[in-house]
Amino acid sequence: MQCFFCGADVGDSHVCYNCGADILLYKQIIYTSFVFYNQGLEKARVSDLSGAIDALKTALQYYKYNTRARNLLGLCYYQVGELVLALNEWVLSKNLQENNPDADRYLADIENTPGLLSKTNSIIKKYNQAIEYCKSGSKDLAKIQLKKVINQNGNFVKAQQLLALLYIDEKKYFDARKVLSQAASIDANNTLTIKYIHEVKAALKDKNTGRRKKKNDTVSFADGNDTVIMSEKSFRSMLDNTRASFVNILLGIIVGLLICFFLVVPTVKDNMKDGNTDTILALNEALAESNSKNEGLQSEIDELKESLSAYDDKQDVETSYDNLFAAQNYYSTGDNEAASEYIQLVTKDVLGEQGQQAYDNLYSLLSPTILQGYYDDGNSFYGEENYESAIINFKTVVDTDESYDSGAALFLLGDCYRLTDQTDLALECFNKVVELFPNNKWGRQAKVYIAADDTELDAKVVGE
Amino acid sequence: MIDFEEELKRFEPAIEVEQAEADIKARDLTDLTDLLFNMTAQNNGTK
Repeated sequence: MQCFFCGADVGDSHVCYNCGADILLYKQIIYTSFVFYNQGLEKARVSDLSGAIDALKTALQYYKYNTRARNLLGLCYYQVGELVLALNEWVLSKNLQENNPDADRYLADIENTPGLLSKTNSIIKKYNQAIEYCKSGSKDLAKIQLKKVINQNGNFVKAQQLLALLYIDEKKYFDARKVLSQAASIDANNTLTIKYIHEVKAALKDKNTGRRKKKNDTVSFADGNDTVIMSEKSFRSMLDNTRASFVNILLGIIVGLLICFFLVVPTVKDNMKDGNTDTILALNEALAESNSKNEGLQSEIDELKESLSAYDDKQDVETSYDNLFAAQNYYSTGDNEAASEYIQLVTKDVLGEQGQQAYDNLYSLLSPTILQGYYDDGNSFYGEENYESAIINFKTVVDTDESYDSGAALFLLGDCYRLTDQTDLALECFNKVVELFPNNKWGRQAKVYIAADDTELDAKVVGE
Repeated sequence: MIDFEEELKRFEPAIEVEQAEADIKARDLTDLTDLLFNMTAQNNGTK
């Protein structure tokens, strides 16, 4: 080790043999400085920032080159909202020790945060302004400024303490307690904060005790327009009487309910049962009556239906003869289509023997025209993709003549079945077509369908 | 009981940013090692 005074090498000796400087004392000073630094560090770790600040200041009074202590002091100032003091410490630290990465980092952080210094300055100015307002007696203005300061920097302990002091002065102890709790959460062991907290607690305790005492003395309540004030004892005895009355009423209600349950309810139930039985009997009678009436009405309806059908037959005889004669007339004039329409309106069964013979003769003559009509209608419906109606028409044709139009009617009937997903019926028709006309176009196409079992081909393909 | 006026005296204006440099310059950085140095210098001078 070198002598702090002359720079001579002193080794482990307590005195410098060159200049006589007290090396032991020097070592003790530096050691003490680091002891205070350790204390400061411990206190800072448990949020006792004011204690840490005191210890670190002492450490620096012993040995100003204790850079760690100075950097930590800056951090503590920063934490309690004193940014300018923090900056001062870090700048000094950097000046006293060139190679100082911690101070470099802190200063760089502040420089790299845009607007931090101007914001800090504005906060400090507001705080200073608040102190001025307090001194001039404008406490409301001071409170407004301090609230702004705390909003902008929630760690500014001094501002919180001053605001708490103002609240205490106005006897707003709850507000003061709230602000002081916030301050204590930042700097746990600050003497001033603790002092104010004690003051607030004591004041709140007095307040509560006062209230209780008042409560214990008298009781007051409104009785109509009057306010009744009585001692607590009298009030209690009155309450006891009221309680007894209340219990009596409650017992009365319970007894009433029990009587109702055991005596009244069974009677009511019996009455209801009797009433229900009567109702059921009456309903049964009404039902039987209705049934007999219904039977009578049904027989009446049947009679009426019979007479109506007789009347219809009578009417149909006349119409049928008219239609038969009209068909005969049109046939004789060569209008086979009109004749075929009229003959289809004739009911053969209502005609006499001669009439039926005439009908059969004429019908056999008009049969080709009638079938042609059904076939044409079937084709029209087929073209309109109305396959259900087409089936009715083609079926009428096929029922009369399976080989109509060289099997075209039968094939188209099959095709209509195919298109309406009635595959079995479709295949039945196609097989018949192949059986009757194996070599014409309908037969060939039917073979294609049967061979491929492809009943989903397009109708147009079939036509082609 | 807290005396507001007395308590208010504890609160001093905070240092503003513009005053930081002046504050640093005004600091007395003398520590115990400086005093020891001076004492040693005085002792050596008297000898």
